[in-house]
Order: sequence, then C-alpha cells, then structure tokens
Amino acid sequence: MKQYFKNLESGLSAAIQNGQSSPRKLYALEIARLGARLYSGVDMVSWCGIYAPFEILNAMGVTSCFVEFIGAMVASTGTVGPMIEETDHIGYSSDACSYHRAVTGAAIKGLMPVPAFLVGSTSPCTGGVAVIENLAAHFKKPLYLLQIPQDFTENNIRYLASQFRDMAAFIKKSTGVVLDNAALTTSVKNSNRARELLLEIYRLAASRPSPVSSKDLANFGIVLSLLFGTEEAVRLAESYRDEFSRRVQAGKSGVPKEKIRLLWIQNRIQFKHPIETMLADEYGAAIVCDELNDVTWDPIDPDDPYEGIARRCLSIPFNGTIENRVKHLQKLAKDYAIDGAINPCNWGCRQGTGARGLIEEGLKKVGVPVLNLEVDCVDSRKFTEGQFRTRIEAFMEMLDQRPSPWSQG
Amino acid sequence: MYYLGIDIGSLSCDAVLIDRDEQVRATSVVPTGARNREAIARVTDDVIRSSGITRKEIRATVSTGYGRDRVEDRASAVTEITCHARGIKAVIPETRVLIDIGGQDSKAILLDQNGKVVDFAMNDKCAAGTGRFLEAMARALQVDIDEMSRLDAGAAGTQTISSMCTVFAESEVVSLIAEGAPVKEIVHGLNRAIASRTLSFVKRIAQNLTGIPISMSGGVARNTGVVRALNAALGCTVSVPQLPDTVGALGAALIARERDALGNRA
Repeated sequence: MKQYFKNLESGLSAAIQNGQSSPRKLYALEIARLGARLYSGVDMVSWCGIYAPFEILNAMGVTSCFVEFIGAMVASTGTVGPMIEETDHIGYSSDACSYHRAVTGAAIKGLMPVPAFLVGSTSPCTGGVAVIENLAAHFKKPLYLLQIPQDFTENNIRYLASQFRDMAAFIKKSTGVVLDNAALTTSVKNSNRARELLLEIYRLAASRPSPVSSKDLANFGIVLSLLFGTEEAVRLAESYRDEFSRRVQAGKSGVPKEKIRLLWIQNRIQFKHPIETMLADEYGAAIVCDELNDVTWDPIDPDDPYEGIARRCLSIPFNGTIENRVKHLQKLAKDYAIDGAINPCNWGCRQGTGARGLIEEGLKKVGVPVLNLEVDCVDSRKFTEGQFRTRIEAFMEMLDQRPSPWSQG
Repeated sequence: MYYLGIDIGSLSCDAVLIDRDEQVRATSVVPTGARNREAIARVTDDVIRSSGITRKEIRATVSTGYGRDRVEDRASAVTEITCHARGIKAVIPETRVLIDIGGQDSKAILLDQNGKVVDFAMNDKCAAGTGRFLEAMARALQVDIDEMSRLDAGAAGTQTISSMCTVFAESEVVSLIAEGAPVKEIVHGLNRAIASRTLSFVKRIAQNLTGIPISMSGGVARNTGVVRALNAALGCTVSVPQLPDTVGALGAALIARERDALGNRA
C-alpha cells in the first residue's frame, strides 16, 4: 500500500505539472498524499469512525482517516478479494459489510499501519464500532468512542461537544500531543472557508445543465471531510468551484447533451465498473447529486469550536431517524431537479438496505422514481454486469419516457 | 416493408416479424442453447421462410433479452422490460400490471394507460421463481417441464416448499420425494412458492390491486399450474396471451416499427 500511494502521488503530480490538471486529479492527488502519510511510518496515525472531528485531529497534527476509506481503496485497486477471504477464515458472515470486512482483512494481513490511538463513532453504524473495537484490540492501542446522539437538541450538542474536549484530553494522555488553541482556530477558519466553497460547488452543480460529470463528485463530500481544517481542503474546493463556474458560464454540461438528471443514494460503487460511463454515453444521464454531498451545518464559531463541530455532526441527515434522510433526499431531489434516483443498497449495510422501502416511498411522493439495486459496493467478485445493465437500462428507458417531475415548477 | 423483433432469453430465443400495419406475419421460438448466435440465425431464417419474404425486406430489427447485444444487424437494443410492456399493450391493451417470468428473471411491470412503463421490480442475484427454478425442480421430479404444468391437478395443498433458494428448494423436493409425498402435492407447493415470490414483486409496484387488470407473459405463463397459483395469490384472474413466449419479441418488433416511423433507427 505504501508503494501504491507513493506511485499514485508521483504519477498524479507529474500529470498535473504537465498541464493535465483537473479538480478530479487534484482530489485524487490529495487522496494519494493522505494515503502516503498514513503509510509513511513517520506520521502519527489515528483510525477513526466517520463522525470523528477531523478539524481537531488535523489541528493536532494527527494523520487521521475513517476505516471505510481503506475498504474503498482496496476495492478501487482490485485487491479486495484476499482481504475479504481473510475475514471468512475467522468466521465473519458473508452478509457483513464488505467495507468493514476488507479493513479487518487488511489489518490481519498486516496491511494497515499501526495507529497511535483510535477514535470510533457510534454513528452511522454499529458495524463500524465493532471494526474499530476489533482494530483497537488487534493493535493493542487505546480507543476513544464518541457516543453520537440521534437528535439535534441543545443538550445533545453540549453532550457531544464535551466528548470532543474529552477526546482531546484522551489524545494528550495517550500520545503527549497537546491541542494548540491557535491551531484549532486556524483549522476551524479553514473548515468554514471550505464550507462556503462547498455551498458554491453544490449550487453550481444544481445548474441546468449541470457542470458535473458522473464521476466528478463521486465520494467527494465524505472524503473531503478528512481534510477539514487544512489548507488543502480549501485549495481543492476552490479548484472545483472555479472549474464548475467556468463550465456554467460557458453553458457546458458535465455529461454532453444532458437528458436525465440522477441522484445517487449513499455510497458509490468503489471498484472499477462501467455504469457511470454507460449512463453518460448511452443515455445522456448524469449523476448530478450524491446524497452525501451537501452542507447541512452552519459556520463553526472559532471561539466555540467544540459546539460548532458538534452541531455539524448532528445536522448530518444520515444521523438520527430515517425521516431525516427521507426529507433530505426529497430536498435534494427538488434542488437538483432530479429525474430519478439510484440506490445501490450496499450489500451487508443496514443503512443501505434497511431503509430502501421508506426512501423509495419518500422520493416517489415527490415524483422521483427509485431504482434499487443489490450491489456490494466493495466486493467486485459479486458484480454481474449483465444483470445490472438490464436493470439500469430499463430504468433509463422508463425515465426517458417520463416528463420531468419538476417541469411545472 | 417488415420489422423484426428478436428476444434472446437464457432459455429460449424468440422472433416476431410484423408488417408496416403492425400485423404479425411470422413467429419462431427455439431453445437458446449454448451458442446464442446460432439461435438468432435460426429464428431469423424461420420467420423469413415462413412469411415468404426476403431478408432485404426487413427494414429494421430491434433486439431484446439478456443476449440483445449479440444481434449484429440490430437497429437498436431495448431491454425486455420495455419490450414486454409494449408487446402486452398490443395483445391485451387493458393491462396495467404485467408479470413476466422468463428463464432467469422474474419481474412485475406497472404500466400507465398508454402502455408506458411507470415502475418495475425484479429479482436480484437469485433465480428463485424463474424458468430456471422450474427446470431444476422438473429435473428433481424427473418429469418433463411441459408435463409438470398439469401435474398439480387435484392437489389438496398439503405440501409447502419453504426454501426459495433454487438449490435448497431442489434438496427439499428430493427429501419430499424420499418421504413419499405425492408428486402433485410437491408441484402444487412449488407453484405456490413461485406465486408467493411473484406477489412480492407485484406488491412493490402496486399496493392496491383491486380492479387492476393483470397479465402475464414469458415462457412460464404457459404453465397453467403456476398461473392458477398466481390467481389464488393475487385474488384475481391473470390474463395470459395466446403466445406468451413471444410478447417480448413482439414488443421489440413494434418498437422497431415506431422508431422507423419517427426516423430514429439508432
């Protein structure tokens, strides 16, 4: 993995220096750099849950990453099979989440850097907590588990903020690293600047036609959160904003002759597959919006960063009841004038499969049909292209014959 | 001027030739087998020969089914969902819910009053309740697949097939045979299992079925036992066209005709 990230970083840097720059290449470069730091053997590393406060961790100089990132990386490199088989050997159910099985397998195979400590989060899923707890036991390293409340209330915000303070004290006790207040203020200011840029990016993405090609913003929002607090996040967001502004001003759509606007629910498929290209080339269909690409929080007060970060965590619709998610998806469908939604229903994910009926019903109420697939977004060995093509093509044929649900509005 | 629709399924390859007035001039159904290009050539030759036309008189071909991209001289390929919807509209126009059970897919399709697809649900990653499922069960029972459709006559409904996995259901059937369960009861249990599975697809696209005209296409629609079980599960009479196998190919031919009229052959 170390060599992979180093090669990726040098290859992308060379391409960008040779004038082949694009926001997506810069995004890939930041991923490569993060991977290289994680595997450098020099940086202090923390394996985390998705809701970890990366502004605080970045301000402390800790290279931090949620574990699902590694699952996605091994999927994208086509090496996921042996990792997952490793978990089969120790009795994992084949129905368990492949993101988590891949991470666990990578740790067993010695392909995960040893962290200094771990920060888990009870949201978005208990599977993630189990993996973090297993990793803590595997590496024999201390774990701080953030208990993420379900509801957005002032009491819950204060409760979560107090946990962030405790977490900083836990890191100090575990590693000796002290959180510098000035560094945290700078981190929060960078995070707020990135937030402003994200608002612009998503506003531009909702333009008709959309400047977004189906791959431009894949995994974007969730991965960018790893860089919150850094100048790199700001620079990356600026490059997207500038490129999308150029495209919108020129009337250039991300997918040529955009005909169908799609909403992708939850995570993208992480291994190489032909679906996004097929959608664009054969149907003029663009994934203009991903559920996980949105700004739902207010700017964080630099004078009270813990509460501000807690507010952000609790504002994310993936936290709490499914009604939050359904309302959010309905809002996205309206904001982006969505014609249809694709829910991969990631195999083994209770978030992905458990809510599918309610999500389908909720989007149908606003006139947006949903295609439910049954994809393992990480384990490419379960992917049968022919089956998926038929379902997706039939969905596109159906959408092609329907008027836009937003044509009157 | 003629239009050809070819439906290359996993079990059968079907062709329908229509004229410019959308009248069916010839049909052909052959097993797809391992070499689907040979099956495609065979059904094409069949309909040309039996209609007495020349190949050059075929103005456009639309292909459908899992092997739709294997038809080399197609004007376009369209999924079986859209083609079955178009085909059933031509033969049973009042249809609003179409059940299509083919070789490896089973689906429920909701149509609007114009025969356009409004919604659909289909099986994923599992051949339970499909033609392949029935084929495997016929093999376990050592009966012919066509004969199987009549074998449930007079069954009292004493046997239930609890497993909807094709492999496990086959084991269950073998166990029931070993226990001496009557074949008609086993077949009846299998038909009810398919109906139950299909009902879940139908309910996903239409919760209230009161007064909704439901039709069925695909090869399994020839199995009268399955249709009876579906009638019981759905609480209504499912309409079956005279040639259920060729509904997809008919839809493909009609789409070829329509696209040609619109000047859209790509």
